[in-house]
Amino acid sequence: MIEEQKNSNDLKPNILIVDDEKGLREGTKRLLEGEGYSVQAAENGTEGIRLGTSEDFDIAILDLKMADYDGMEVLQEIKKVRQNTVCLIATAFASFDTAIEATRLGAFAYIPKPFAPEELFYQIQQAYKHRLLTLESEKLKKEREENLLELASEKSRLNTIIKSINDGVIVINKTGEIVYTNNAVLKNLNINELNIGDVASEKIPATITDLVNKIFDSSDKKDKSYSTQIEIKPNNELFVEAVCSPVPQPDGSLAGVIVVIRNITEFKKIEMIKSQFVSMVAHELKAPIAAVQGFINLLLDDQLNLDEEKKKDFLSRSEVRLKSLLTLVNDLLDISRMEMKTKQRELQNINVIDCMESTIELMQFEISKRNLKIEKNYSKDIPLLHADPNEITRVFTNIISNAVKYNKDNGSIDIDLSLQKNYVSIKISDTGIGMKQEEKEKLFSEFFRAKNEHTRGIGGTGLGLTIVKRIIDSYYGKIEVESSYGNGTTFIINLPINLTN
Amino acid sequence: MALITVIDDDPDILETSTLVLKSKGHEVLTASNPDDGYKLITEKKPDLVILDVMMDEPDDGFFLAQKLRKEKITTPILMYTSVSKTVGFEYGAGEMVPVDEFVEKPITPNELIEKVDKLLQKK
Repeated sequence: MIEEQKNSNDLKPNILIVDDEKGLREGTKRLLEGEGYSVQAAENGTEGIRLGTSEDFDIAILDLKMADYDGMEVLQEIKKVRQNTVCLIATAFASFDTAIEATRLGAFAYIPKPFAPEELFYQIQQAYKHRLLTLESEKLKKEREENLLELASEKSRLNTIIKSINDGVIVINKTGEIVYTNNAVLKNLNINELNIGDVASEKIPATITDLVNKIFDSSDKKDKSYSTQIEIKPNNELFVEAVCSPVPQPDGSLAGVIVVIRNITEFKKIEMIKSQFVSMVAHELKAPIAAVQGFINLLLDDQLNLDEEKKKDFLSRSEVRLKSLLTLVNDLLDISRMEMKTKQRELQNINVIDCMESTIELMQFEISKRNLKIEKNYSKDIPLLHADPNEITRVFTNIISNAVKYNKDNGSIDIDLSLQKNYVSIKISDTGIGMKQEEKEKLFSEFFRAKNEHTRGIGGTGLGLTIVKRIIDSYYGKIEVESSYGNGTTFIINLPINLTN
Repeated sequence: MALITVIDDDPDILETSTLVLKSKGHEVLTASNPDDGYKLITEKKPDLVILDVMMDEPDDGFFLAQKLRKEKITTPILMYTSVSKTVGFEYGAGEMVPVDEFVEKPITPNELIEKVDKLLQKK
């Protein structure tokens, strides 16, 4: 709108003069043009209506008495199209009645003819001020309407968002009725319908409405939320958390309560796994403690009269149990560090063959004790791996240690290292006791240790392969196991050459 | 003096328990898994069974206890457990294991003897 740039002080309004009296018409035109106004003149009512409707004049000065139309009619026609054109009625036949009528029809002022230039200028200035004010208020009104429109669409957008979120949202008013609900409520509470106007206590669990009532009943602390966990379907099939918060009115009083219902089934499952893990850890930690405690109790008992040899036996067996306890604690710490990713990796280019050789070297004592034969088959084209040597050695140690522990005396261990496309493939086979299918399935889970007539007396924390799997996973590698019960087990590890990618 | 069967997969626990019980004049038979234990109980008919709750798999001790009770074998059972109830093994009334007494490992010789004497007296 051009009016935006206009200012009543420096800009001159454009004016339409409608008068069928030529002298007066042109005289006024000249007078106003002399003052810098832009002026158009119409010589009769018809022309006045045409001009006044086709252009948006700031001000129209209309002669009341014309041959074709009178000024009032022209005013009405112009106002129909250009309602913000400010109209001044000019007449030589001024009367109180026509003045009232003109004002009623929307004329801004009434100028008696003949008019003195000062009177005319004054009226024009007033009219123009009025015009600018009207336009300004029109503009504000339009902006407000646009804002309301935006608000309305914002409201529907918000509604769509709340309807589609995965958390159930219910709003309950002071009389305990449902005033708002979304689709997720039905799913999370496992109910078929919930409608606005329903009595909350009849439709939703009492544990929730109890909290809602608690909020309604408490006189203070209007900002306090309450939450509860509810088992909707038994056996951990559906578990939800409901959080009830007050909805305040602008004056701070309580309007209602909003309840957000979130599906926490997965968290509950994880919580259960964690607590089972803790329970298993506790058991594993307590077993050696109980054994050592048993030995100490006997050693301290003077009435038993243990001979020196027995005492020494108990002490060395205590030492073995304490060592295994320490190993277990270290394994647990390693797993925890891996889980929390706090373990600092020392990546370097490592030679897999060297790594394997030093691992075998360290286990030579156990290997010779059982008279095991190591068959090595190393390809020459194995590239260096960019990895943490401690982690790779840990993997080799755990697997070979199993191959030794679960082997038969005089058996053998085959170790193949080869390059397979983008992987270094490490294959470790033993001629040991092998595994049953159900044992194979649980192999990588914490604290699992195969237990059958062949495994008696074989120690271990039950965490070795868990650690192996986690290390290999962290390098985006793969571990597979093949086993036949009674005949032996083969572990195949594939590590990507570009380990860091 | 009584005949007592101790069933536990931890050889160290078996040995120390045996020593304590023998020092009080009891005769002790040991088994390191539920199957051997079951054989001992049915064949030797001991006066008391000391059974570890977790042997091969969690619940193994429970299964053996339930099996014995189902077969109307009413020998008192003292159950060893190394897992405290606070870490998740809580039992509802319905799933209560048919044993006469629980003890949590580690246990002192005096405690063991006290519990054993109590159960033998009951019998």
